[in-house]
Amino acid sequence: MKVISLIGAACLCAAFSASVTAQEPQTGKSLYEENCAVCHQYDGGGVPFMQPELFGSKRANDPKGGVIDMILFGSAAEGAGQGEFSNEMPGFDFLTNKEIALIATYVRTNFENNGGAVTADDVQPRRK
Amino acid sequence: MKANIFGAGLVTLALVGCSAPEEAGHDAQQATQEAAKEMMMSAVGVADGAAVDAETGISLPAGFKATIFADTVGEVRHIVAADNGWLYGALRRSMRGMGVVALRDTDGDGVADQREYFGESIQGSGIGVHNGHLYFSTDTAIMRWPLPESGVPTGEPTIIAEGFVSETQHASKNFTFDDDGNMYVNVGAPSNACMTEMRKKGSPGMRPCPILEKYAGIWRFDADTPNQDQMADGHRYTTGVRNALALDWNPHANALYLAQHGRDQFASFFPDMYTNEQSAELPSEEFHRLDDGYDVGWPYSYYDHLQGERMVMPEYGGDGKTVSTEGEKPLFGFPGHWAPNGMMFLHGNAMPAEYRKGAFIAFHGSWNRAPLPQQGYRVVYLPLDDDGAVAGDWVTFANGFAGPEPVMSPRNAVHRPMGLAEGPDGAIYISSLMSAGRVWKVTYEGN
Repeated sequence: MKVISLIGAACLCAAFSASVTAQEPQTGKSLYEENCAVCHQYDGGGVPFMQPELFGSKRANDPKGGVIDMILFGSAAEGAGQGEFSNEMPGFDFLTNKEIALIATYVRTNFENNGGAVTADDVQPRRK
Repeated sequence: MKANIFGAGLVTLALVGCSAPEEAGHDAQQATQEAAKEMMMSAVGVADGAAVDAETGISLPAGFKATIFADTVGEVRHIVAADNGWLYGALRRSMRGMGVVALRDTDGDGVADQREYFGESIQGSGIGVHNGHLYFSTDTAIMRWPLPESGVPTGEPTIIAEGFVSETQHASKNFTFDDDGNMYVNVGAPSNACMTEMRKKGSPGMRPCPILEKYAGIWRFDADTPNQDQMADGHRYTTGVRNALALDWNPHANALYLAQHGRDQFASFFPDMYTNEQSAELPSEEFHRLDDGYDVGWPYSYYDHLQGERMVMPEYGGDGKTVSTEGEKPLFGFPGHWAPNGMMFLHGNAMPAEYRKGAFIAFHGSWNRAPLPQQGYRVVYLPLDDDGAVAGDWVTFANGFAGPEPVMSPRNAVHRPMGLAEGPDGAIYISSLMSAGRVWKVTYEGN
């Protein structure tokens, strides 16, 4: 199901993702590395002044809605120009609820964060 | 063609580095003028992996010496060394409510012993001296004060150019001057590749790209006329520039040069077209000589130094293989994502002849080469001839800023080169805004 929905998203966006050929089920780690690591880095360290680090991130440890909103809406979740970092984050609303939950869980339970797990049911109500 | 030849970079660099000094020793007396000129162009540089100096943390070519001119100065961006003996640095974030730091070494030991801050409630990246004035830029305006005989300027600055839209991405309004009273300002694109939706996978590029109207170019202004508006009074000298923090006037060839930040994220947006290795190396960080009306090519095309061609940007139908007819080929293409943040041509003769006419480029270092190691936290020197054409392979002028290699995550880079300046005595200054900010002074001591 995950693979099928990913193909759907990729086609809608007029781009093909090499990752859809992977046979292994996607995990929070693999989804993070595919979608997030390019900016936030594989170790979650971010880029000084450009993209925030995820270590000890307030959103990652606060109520789960904050992380879900950040993934769904990107910088718009904060309001333009509100952050300390120069780059803008796009929204990842094209990912499925399950995929967003896996990424959110990965971020909230790694990089020294203890925010706890997120489920697909947590994600759906926050979509606009 | 040159870019193609020199694209091999480090490999050929090593050859040049080994052969040049020997030849100079043997043949100097009989050398024809032409050959002597050739050798003068052969800057040797410092080898990758060379030991860094224990005190300063950086490595330099033989004969050069560094001091830590000032430490913990704040998040210092571009710097300028004025004839009054003071070095001024623009601060990205104000210190003690002030946006400019002023430094002076009164006893000549290579370490600043005077430090002052000024520029209330401003912060920014650009700084320079022209016609007896100290210029400074925030992200939305360029202003100036009369350059004081010593220390910090007094009074309110006069606005020279304004009307730039406030942005967060690529917002620095760094600038330089020619010898005819003109000021050139970088107006970076608040965008990666002019995608319809900001940095969103699968989002196509807009054509025409509306960003090109007020951004993504070099605007020219009169350097001395107050209150010029970007669109009403400025002249778009060059277009198709994604962002060019590295921008300087070459006084030897009498032309404007830039090195731009190439776009990010080939592999994450187009994994079927670019491997991680290709995405780390591409696109080139392009080095251009500009003329009035020049088009670098962003967002419709990018330069690929591995293929020696301008390619169609994938957001505009490219596939990594299709050559583009839009934009100009650069004089040279550096490896991807190294982030050229400062450029400087020397005016004086204090440095060895082989370092006098080319471009010093401060690369801030990459963040977009993961999962491969990050690279490029170094100052390089690209030799140019009297006409401003590339005259040899680039060499590393200063290295080791980042600390232990490999740097897998940018936050592990201790320092990252940013601004460059030439002192009245010919010394070269290098700034880093990391680790609370530092400025090095580099002098040539000879053998």
